[in-house]
Amino acid sequence: MKIEHDGNNLRISDIAELNAINASAFRDEVRAAMPASPNMIEIDLSQTRFVDSSGLGALFALYKAANNNGHDGVTLRLVNPRPSIQQLFELTQLHQLFEISRR
Amino acid sequence: MSESHPAERGLYHRVVFKCDLTEARTATRSLRGFLAEQGLDESEQFNCELCLAEACNNAVQYAAKASVGRLLSAEAICHSAGIELRVSDHTAGFTLRKKRGIAPGRESGRGLFIIQSLMDEVRYFRSDDGNTLVMRTTRTHQQHRPADAAATASLDGARQQLESCQQAISGMARELCFRSESLAAIFRCCAELGRTSDLEGFGDRLMNDLLHLATADWFVLRMLPRGGTQLQVFATSSLTLFDDALPFAEDASASALPAELAAACTRKAVEFDAVRSTASYEPLRVAGATASGLVHPLVFGDKLLGTLAIGRRNSDTPFSALQAEMIRTFAEFMAVQIVNARHHEEQVHVRLVAHELEIAHRIQRALLPCTLPPLSGFRLAASWESARQVGGDFYDAFPLGEDGVLLVVADVMGKGVPAAIFATITRSLLRAMTVRSHHPARLLKRLNELLYTELSSVGMFITAQLVFVDLKRRTLVAASAGHCPVVIFSPDEVKTLSVTGTPLGILPHATYRQETATLGEPGGLLLYTDGLTESQTPSGEMFGHDRLVEWLRARVTQPLTAEAIRDELTAELNRFRGSAPLRDDQALLIMAEHPATLANPDPSGFRDADPLATASPDFAAASSVLSHVQT
Repeated sequence: MKIEHDGNNLRISDIAELNAINASAFRDEVRAAMPASPNMIEIDLSQTRFVDSSGLGALFALYKAANNNGHDGVTLRLVNPRPSIQQLFELTQLHQLFEISRR
Repeated sequence: MSESHPAERGLYHRVVFKCDLTEARTATRSLRGFLAEQGLDESEQFNCELCLAEACNNAVQYAAKASVGRLLSAEAICHSAGIELRVSDHTAGFTLRKKRGIAPGRESGRGLFIIQSLMDEVRYFRSDDGNTLVMRTTRTHQQHRPADAAATASLDGARQQLESCQQAISGMARELCFRSESLAAIFRCCAELGRTSDLEGFGDRLMNDLLHLATADWFVLRMLPRGGTQLQVFATSSLTLFDDALPFAEDASASALPAELAAACTRKAVEFDAVRSTASYEPLRVAGATASGLVHPLVFGDKLLGTLAIGRRNSDTPFSALQAEMIRTFAEFMAVQIVNARHHEEQVHVRLVAHELEIAHRIQRALLPCTLPPLSGFRLAASWESARQVGGDFYDAFPLGEDGVLLVVADVMGKGVPAAIFATITRSLLRAMTVRSHHPARLLKRLNELLYTELSSVGMFITAQLVFVDLKRRTLVAASAGHCPVVIFSPDEVKTLSVTGTPLGILPHATYRQETATLGEPGGLLLYTDGLTESQTPSGEMFGHDRLVEWLRARVTQPLTAEAIRDELTAELNRFRGSAPLRDDQALLIMAEHPATLANPDPSGFRDADPLATASPDFAAASSVLSHVQT
């Protein structure tokens, strides 16, 4: 997993799986790396081949963390999720919290 | 630990793993691999993997403390209808409720929500020794393995084969229908022909049926009469179009001939196309400027009977192979029926002719007297042989008083039953008339007057020799209506008495002469018909009157009975004729004197070639009817 900072933007990529095994670690790492007043948090899912309910939970925790400061206007973006994972986001309504974009 | 084998319901793969998330993950990955092999697509694979992962994670994360060391199992069962996923756990168990929507933020229950959303059927079986979660989903896609690609292709191929089979079957059904209709038409027409023997009606019906079956617009059936030189229209769809007779010459060159004559000369089917025809004279062009069709010769063996031309008004739609074959079948069948009809006609004609001849023969035979009358001092013998071809010779002998007899030999010139009837009439008239007159010349005159109108109206005539013999005075008076002369014979001399006279039925008011002569000692007379003297050898040499005289001269050097003379003369005639057929009726009547004549004459003085002697009809009755005739 790769985490990049760019001012108040955070970019995470190279995530193989977001599953029960690594979901907690993922959440903690990203939360730790989050800027105080994040502008945009972008998670590149193009390499991610598997997400389960634990992974969803981790993503949701990040959403809460980003929005915790009472701070509006944080952009949370999931980039290039694979079709099955896209379907999963839609099934679990996560697409209403995260912006899903394709590049 | 995993095992994979075909089960009753399908192929399955089972993984057993420790109660550990990482091992669970490995297990679910392995199961996904198995599902991929079974041909599930990406989306189906992901969904199953996810559901298995959720179940396995749950089993691991909520394992009862005491069961943490126990192994868990996850399996996937694949069959054609769907997939079944099973995960065992040793948790406290959960309550499986109907799926309900959850807010995205809600952590717990998310796994079960996912399973219930992605799977068609979810069951949870709880027991003391462990629980099993069963998840089922139907397969949405077909397998995509290479072997299965072949199955797809073979399914398409099977569909194509089925379609082409169906097409072939409907084509066959159409053809069967067509052929059975044409057979039905043939049977129908034949039944009618059998009933009516009407060849023209048959031809008309058969060809109209063909017109209908072959969906043609016109036809013309021509026949060549026996010995004829013109192909005449026998039946046609339109009399106004085709009414010519086509002159037919066997050796005409086939180039530039009109189609019907080309077919007739070559004895082969010829195609006709009004547009492409190069013949300068083509009667079939009347069918239409763009007409087309086929002409079939009607042949039997090598004999041409006629032609059948049939076609359509335009050449856009030529006859199909099936229709052309049907036309050929009908043409051949028509030819056979024509030949049959001609045979039948001939047979009927032959039978009628034979029947008429049979009647005539019977009448002739009936004319002849069964017995010849007894004469004092003389005997009569007669012979009669019929050629069965020509009309009636007859002879008769009427005793007149104690010492007289009228001898008659006559020849009705004509054929068949009419000749025989005239012979009957003549004999009856003579019998009636001799009651009053012994005058041969007058008898002939009267006979001629009575018969002239009828005889001349049918173009027949009768020759007759009448001889009245006075046995006491030993004189004879003879009159002849164009007949052969009488031969008077005795051992001393043989002479001929020729009296001229016209045959009956030639002149309306003929008169006749008579001549007198005396009998020899002992006396003998021979009356005969020209069938005797005109009898021929195979090489054509005729017996002739002179030879007859010579023969008598040689034979009657000593007195012979009438029977003996008759027998020997008959034998001589047969010997002379040899193998040549009898060409004309032969009749002869002999009167001979014999000193040893018995008081009771031989009742069988009459002899003829036909051993089946029939009874003589009752001429007395006829005579009484004619007795009013004035002489």
